[in-house]
Amino acid sequence: MEWNIPSLKDLEHYFWRCTACGTCRSAYEFGPPPTARPICPAGTEFGFEGFYSSKGKAAFARGITDGTLTFDDPEFLEAIYKCTVCAGCQNQCQIDFKPHIPEVIEAMRREAVASGKGPMPLQQNLVQSMKNYNNPYQGPRRLRTDWTRPFKKAKTPIKDINTQPAEVLFYVGCTGAFNKAAMSVPQATARIFQKLGIDFGILGENEVCCGSTAMRVGDANEFKRVATSNLETFQKLHKEKGVKTIVTSCAGCYRAIKKDYILSSEYDETMDGIQVVHTAQFLHQLYKEGKLPLTKEVPWKVTYHDPCHTGRHLNKFVVDHDGSTLWEGAYVDVDESDCLYDIPRELIQAVPGVQFQEMERIRGNSFCCGGGGGVMTGFSDWSSKNAGLRIMEGLETGMEKMVSICPFCYFNLTEGSRRVGSNMTLHDLTELIDAALEG
Amino acid sequence: MSEMPKQSKESEGVVKALQAIVGEKYATAATHIRYAYSYDMSFVTPKLPDYVVMAETVEQIQQIMRFANAEKIPVIPYTAGTNIGGLCIPERGGILLDLKRMNKIVKIDPESHYAVVEPGVSHGMLAEALHKHNLRFGWPVGPPSASVSSCAISHGIGGLNARYGLNSQEITSMEVVLPTGELVRVGSCAIVDDAWHSTLPLPKMDGLFKGWLGSTGVVTKLGLTVHPIPPVLKVFTVSCDNVEDMYSYMHNLAYYEICDDLTAVSWWLAQVPIPYPYRPKPDDVPEMFSFANTNSFTEKEKEAREEIWQMVVDEEQKKGTSLKVTEYPEEALRARTQLPSQIVGSTKNYCKMAGAGISWPGTFTPANKWAPVYNEWKRILIEHNLSPSVRMSMYRGVHYGMLRAMIPFNKQSQEETENARKAIVECLKVDLDNGGIPYKPPVDFAIEINKRAHPGYLELMKRIKQMLDPNDIMNPGKLGI
Ligand SMILES: Cc1cc2nc3c(=O)[nH]c(=O)nc-3n(C[C@H](O)[C@H](O)[C@H](O)COP(=O)(O)OP(=O)(O)OC[C@H]3O[C@@H](n4cnc5c(N)ncnc54)[C@H](O)[C@@H]3O)c2cc1C
Ligand code: SF4
Ligand code: SF4
Repeated sequence: MEWNIPSLKDLEHYFWRCTACGTCRSAYEFGPPPTARPICPAGTEFGFEGFYSSKGKAAFARGITDGTLTFDDPEFLEAIYKCTVCAGCQNQCQIDFKPHIPEVIEAMRREAVASGKGPMPLQQNLVQSMKNYNNPYQGPRRLRTDWTRPFKKAKTPIKDINTQPAEVLFYVGCTGAFNKAAMSVPQATARIFQKLGIDFGILGENEVCCGSTAMRVGDANEFKRVATSNLETFQKLHKEKGVKTIVTSCAGCYRAIKKDYILSSEYDETMDGIQVVHTAQFLHQLYKEGKLPLTKEVPWKVTYHDPCHTGRHLNKFVVDHDGSTLWEGAYVDVDESDCLYDIPRELIQAVPGVQFQEMERIRGNSFCCGGGGGVMTGFSDWSSKNAGLRIMEGLETGMEKMVSICPFCYFNLTEGSRRVGSNMTLHDLTELIDAALEG
Repeated sequence: MSEMPKQSKESEGVVKALQAIVGEKYATAATHIRYAYSYDMSFVTPKLPDYVVMAETVEQIQQIMRFANAEKIPVIPYTAGTNIGGLCIPERGGILLDLKRMNKIVKIDPESHYAVVEPGVSHGMLAEALHKHNLRFGWPVGPPSASVSSCAISHGIGGLNARYGLNSQEITSMEVVLPTGELVRVGSCAIVDDAWHSTLPLPKMDGLFKGWLGSTGVVTKLGLTVHPIPPVLKVFTVSCDNVEDMYSYMHNLAYYEICDDLTAVSWWLAQVPIPYPYRPKPDDVPEMFSFANTNSFTEKEKEAREEIWQMVVDEEQKKGTSLKVTEYPEEALRARTQLPSQIVGSTKNYCKMAGAGISWPGTFTPANKWAPVYNEWKRILIEHNLSPSVRMSMYRGVHYGMLRAMIPFNKQSQEETENARKAIVECLKVDLDNGGIPYKPPVDFAIEINKRAHPGYLELMKRIKQMLDPNDIMNPGKLGI
């Protein structure tokens, strides 16, 4: 399988479009009323321009390509990884660099890995674990199904799709499977599916990491290995077990399959006849069809956190590749229709008894939890500190529970809440929906 | 990159000393950090600072200045580096003093209509805070994340300049750390600690720190007049086939002082983005467009302004000029009326097509010289294959205003950058010879200014600089003296 993953050199033209205007440093909206909010977790924490937003990343990229900056300098190597690749900066920029910003950040990391220096030591453990165990959490394969124990106990086991056919593959993801605190996410998802009578199965011990973390820290080879394996599995399941839909509750997996896997030359062919959806979309479709009976009162005071990976990372950029509309490489427009902004909000507010209040930074300008881009592994202290900032913003709404649709955010924001000593609790949307369903 | 990274024992000592002042996290000599401060969007050649420091308090700045003065290390104040003139690019290395962390809005007095800000307060932040009191300021068409105070002390221009003058004319008081480390105040706050309402009737010593390109001290607090937001916006838009007719209209309308902003732009600047390289204007479209922003408290007030404007239009048309009442292109109009603007601030309207570079001959020019200078600029710029994307804005009254050509270029190419630099410096010379003076001038411009300057002016400038900064450590080299 061929993969079309660009090198830093391939992207040089684009980071040379950055004017160093610094508009990407904050999320500003004219309104009225006007609002200006910090948007870059790295800049907020580390302050210097190089850390700040895509302006700083363009500087680093230029420094690498002109030979001034090298990965032999451990401080520089670290700086490349002190970024959650949240794309908050990308959302502000209006010039031709815009569509390529996260790609440039990751291309620098790929250079770092290729030079033998990257990723950061703790992230190297993560990649090594992927090589050893097919997951980044150093979890033996047999532990992958630990989260299903309550189902076995209740004598409502989950179908093993390796042996039994099902229309829906629930692709659990490593965080939900191995991270104890986040196990409630796949558990709630599976409970909902069972309550609704969905014919679904899981890969169980045979599930292989989606490769998102490897890609985010610049290990393209490891990404390609697992992504190729997954694409092959998906096709096999489609042909042999009748899988038509892949559902995932993990924002990282969803982003990887939707946006990284398409870099494969055989994506269209392999995925022909298979749709990939996030659980939120899957449930929303049922809700619209009147097949999601949210009848139980859930008296929660809720605010919603948009994960980067189900939000602005799913932007579709219109780029004039051949110069026929504007000029070659021109950024023409952005289409937000794939971003899961409205769907979770609609579902939250459809639950009887829920009181809902938005935070200030939402949707495309959501403030990253701080866990993405390998930061939760590489710099856990900063990661939870940043999550604490997001929790404080949540507290300003007067709400008590923060709902999201990403087990990564779930875990990190829980850490953040603990760190700032707040009573704000984190919940996956599936937990809320589960609570609202009879059964 | 003009200079290779510098890391030595000596530099380690300096970093340690700076870290002792601001904390370990906020002082560095790391190459990658310095690199990100070595360039801006202008044609000015990149140069690395030796150190970067982020101060948070006035005391820290005092200590940094005392240290730098004793060690004779240059200090370059920096807030966002968006001045379009390479003004924060260190000519002689030294300490890049990033003031972004000093970002408190110290005070908004909604009754007396003034605000006090630290240097790191951005236009976006202040716009948000003022709006809560239905107040506004003269927002530039620059990045919302750039500094309010740096704009004001650099004689910046905002959207209220026809009504209230330049942003530097809005300054009411100042607190400054001198290059030698002493803390001084000018204006009413010098006499009563929390009185920030006026620089007058005291000697206007704020002039020691305005227009000096960060070379006389570090401003740590700035008092500014702010203004109510009249609810009724009316924008009058016209076009003309030539600059002479447009000047005639603007001069006529400015006489009545009814506009917040009275600006004209050439066809090339009205395009989003500015064409790069130069593209001829279609024959059947006008060459100049003007928008005149007015804000009124009542419909009647608006109608009165409208009546005056209509009278001016009638008069101009009677003169037989090419003036027509026209629609101003919508996106460009939004960019003029919805400020601060993220879209314009991100340079989309200017250099999206060219890539990474913009510079300008940005000048304050007698209004009656706009037309001849424009025509010369047009010739020069077209010769260099650059769009004559010119803006003319009347300041308070009719005698002078901003004349500038926003010139985007492809900064990735040294050749194209040099082409733009040459064209811009040539334009600048034409303007200087017509009585115009560039604002926020890069060193190339400063040299041209000084060539023409009265010897007494230069001598006085040198003496003031010597008095305030005996070791010439503050942003050295920028004044071209
Ligand atoms: C697209 C675009 C459009 C623009 N339009 C306008 C416009 O309409 N009007 C306008 O006025 N400007 C405009 N600008 C220029 C600039 O954005 C503004 O003037 C801005 O507010 C300057 O702030 P800054 O933080 O970038 O200053 P910087 O570039 O960081 O600093 C400017 C100068 O002030 C000095 N300085 C900074 N802080 C201090 C301090 N505390 N004490 C002493 N000296 C200090 C610096 O050394 C430097 O000489 C535009 C820029 C862009 C990119
Ligand atoms: S990335 Fe975009 S918004 Fe940020 S500095 Fe560069 S051009 Fe400006
Ligand atoms: S991706 Fe996020 S953390 Fe990284 S520079 Fe952009 S805004 Fe900052």
